[in-house]
Amino acid sequence: MTESPPAVEIRHLVKDFQTSFKRQPLRAVDDVSIRIMPGEVYGLIGPNGSGKSTTMKALLGLVAPTAGQCAIFGKDSMKVDSRNEVGFLPENPYFYKHLSGEETLEFYGKLCGIKGKKLKDRVGELLELVDLKEASHRRIGGYSKGMLQRIGLAQALIQEPRLVILDEPTAGVDPVGSREIRDLIFKLKEQGITVFLCSHLLEQVQEVCDHVGIIFRGKMVKEGKLEDLIAIEDQTELVMKDASPELVAQIEALIKSDASASLVRTGKPRTTLERLFLRETVGRNDAK
Amino acid sequence: MNPLSNTIAHASRIRVIAFHAFTQLVRMKVFYFLAFFALILIGSNFFNLPQHEGPEAAGVNILHSIKSWSLGAMTLFSVVLSIVATALLLPKDVEDRTLYTILAKPVPRLDYLAGKLLGVLLLVFVSLAMMDVLMTGILHIRTNMVMESQVAFAESRGHSAEQIALLKSDIMAQGATASLQGAVFSVFLRATIIASMALLISTFSTSTLFTTIISFLIYFMGHFQADARAAYFTSEAGTSDSFLARGISLLISLALPDFQLFNVIDAVIEGQVLPLFILGKLTLIGLFYAVFYVISSWFIFAKKEF
Repeated sequence: MTESPPAVEIRHLVKDFQTSFKRQPLRAVDDVSIRIMPGEVYGLIGPNGSGKSTTMKALLGLVAPTAGQCAIFGKDSMKVDSRNEVGFLPENPYFYKHLSGEETLEFYGKLCGIKGKKLKDRVGELLELVDLKEASHRRIGGYSKGMLQRIGLAQALIQEPRLVILDEPTAGVDPVGSREIRDLIFKLKEQGITVFLCSHLLEQVQEVCDHVGIIFRGKMVKEGKLEDLIAIEDQTELVMKDASPELVAQIEALIKSDASASLVRTGKPRTTLERLFLRETVGRNDAK
Repeated sequence: MNPLSNTIAHASRIRVIAFHAFTQLVRMKVFYFLAFFALILIGSNFFNLPQHEGPEAAGVNILHSIKSWSLGAMTLFSVVLSIVATALLLPKDVEDRTLYTILAKPVPRLDYLAGKLLGVLLLVFVSLAMMDVLMTGILHIRTNMVMESQVAFAESRGHSAEQIALLKSDIMAQGATASLQGAVFSVFLRATIIASMALLISTFSTSTLFTTIISFLIYFMGHFQADARAAYFTSEAGTSDSFLARGISLLISLALPDFQLFNVIDAVIEGQVLPLFILGKLTLIGLFYAVFYVISSWFIFAKKEF
């Protein structure tokens, strides 16, 4: 049995941009290699201008690599047929304002060769998935930022791709919208769709990704499984519920009695501001 | 994918992009603008112009005027629409990043360019067809009116039946003839060349304003292309002086169409017949430049990075 090719394979990617005023070209991506296996959710993180979007564009054939190769499911990214299996949501997407949400999805579906009842069904299914059924006949020009991101995600999924590339999927979206997009990414993961996303919202990446790459000034500085990367090897966490002060004191005394171990801190775990916000806003709406 | 289904897939994508570009332009309310000017134009044809002819030619100058104003307006609209619409579509897609989502789908760049161009041409064609219907309708009514008055005048003068038949055929030649439809088609062919040229410019300019200005300049230069070639590269004997001069002359005619060839429209306004072979020649020229410019656009656009 032959092993299935990686969903994404970027090998020693280098991308230089010629600048008008400087003779020296600007190196946006410097020897970056990424391998994403089918079904994985990979997060590429890095500060603004670190080369995340350029890496994604090279993978989609929107920019040509100066050196190195990119492939999607074993097909060269510079070839059009590699894009049969991929859906892309660019950063801050703008769609044709004169089209409604439904027409937008139909347009992208037809570009992928889907037509007739199949297209109609797929459009309905996606509008349901991204919760835009009610706004499907409204012109895109009147959509909010969050709605634009969701219709963008729907267009990326129109031809049922095996790989979805999301460039800053929650940029400029409020916490509720951000949570909805995150839930959609979880749904994609459940369906076995490979997701390659880039973001500088680290908490979000941590929540959804299996693998992470950190890119800085065009270079990949750290890469691996998320749990391996963020684990502090010499520390152990113990979270207890309804523990009495006496029990805590006993445990602390036990630690003190061991010469090789030390207590780093004790206290109550904290929720995140985002979770608090969602509980106080969405939770209240649900209660009503 | 076999070659036939591959061709069908290309054609289908081009059709989707073309109809989308057409819808986009229509929803920009382009037709309101056209209808407004077309109505002004048609209305202006009812003005009574000063007559210098005798009563035997009365009314014929109105038919001339209708054709002249209508074809003039069609030329103006088609040129402006072809340039502005083509110059607008590509940079707008780049600015709005809608191009990313399109090219991230299995859409070859040539299909995208061809689709955009065909969308503009469809809009120009529909606009010209609408104006043609208006012009033909009004000409038909006016021709009948002129015919009635002229026949009555000839009969009152006691002209023979042959003379009256000749008069009728002369008046009909000034009306809505097949040659007039040919002239409208040549206006469309000229617009096709201009739109393809604007497409080529927009692939490297990315600015609507730059594309519009350069396209208009080239359009005007195209009217002097033949004269310039004759003046600089042809000897008095009518042949090119040297191999170099012939080469330069050929290059100029390749890059810059000779729009004077489309001046056959003036003869049609005068009531002359537009020979079919001339129309065929213009069609071939139009097709040649459209294909040449689209392929050149593709060479540039294929290497373009976004």
